[in-house]
Amino acid sequence: MAVESVTFALEPRPEPMRRPELMADGVMGMLIFVFTEIMMFAGLISAHAIVRSQVAGEMWPPYGQPRLPVQETAVNTAALLVSGIVLVFAQLAFRKEPSRARLPMLLALLLGLFFVGAQGTEWVALLGEGLTIQSSTYGGFFYLIVGAHGVHAIAAILALGWACYELHKRRLTSSQIATVSVFWYFVVLLWPILYLNVYL
Amino acid sequence: MKPAWISVLVLALLVFLPDVAHACAVCFDARDENRQAFVATTVFLSLLPLGMVAGAGLWVRRRSREIDEKIDSEAPSDR
Repeated sequence: MAVESVTFALEPRPEPMRRPELMADGVMGMLIFVFTEIMMFAGLISAHAIVRSQVAGEMWPPYGQPRLPVQETAVNTAALLVSGIVLVFAQLAFRKEPSRARLPMLLALLLGLFFVGAQGTEWVALLGEGLTIQSSTYGGFFYLIVGAHGVHAIAAILALGWACYELHKRRLTSSQIATVSVFWYFVVLLWPILYLNVYL
Repeated sequence: MKPAWISVLVLALLVFLPDVAHACAVCFDARDENRQAFVATTVFLSLLPLGMVAGAGLWVRRRSREIDEKIDSEAPSDR
């Protein structure tokens, strides 16, 4: 008995459509980290508000303590805010052509370095005037809150420096620049809140 | 032990074990500014995490809908 072989022409099955991810894994991780950091700074700001409310006669800074350089720090604040805006342009430029993001990223990095450098100079001057972390609760809160932000600013500068290097090597991905930008925006947007609470 | 009993036990511990919490004498004083600062910071610290979680939830919901609409518009029709 002869066996006939029958062949069927199979239509190629379409590839299953892959659902796009809501956000990059790095961005999600950074957002969770930023949420925890926001709560830490919220705790510091709250403690500062409580202590400030206990000062008799609303005399703040307390008598005998040096005044903080409000105007000089306003310039630093403006520089940091501009760096955030410049980084937005860098991200937009990266979407069109990655090499176009090089200049705005470097500019944001330089503005960040200016901010940290100016804050360091301010600290040296304040220490010379006698404001130390042990001189009063005023000094303690100043160095704790501004110092904590400074550590984050240095970490953001290192991250952006790494991103610039990766861009130079043509290895920077869109998710990496987004992740670094989230942290940078956190550092930038947090500072005006701290400035209003601590300096004014 | 069944999970329901564990839940009841945990709930009972939560209800009966905590004692009344008082602000320490160093932190608290009778001035009105101080009491207002305590209330304001309590509200601030209570609402901030809830606001962040709610904001993130709303963003995820909106983004998910956008993706669904994009998939629907790109999907080939059955005909």
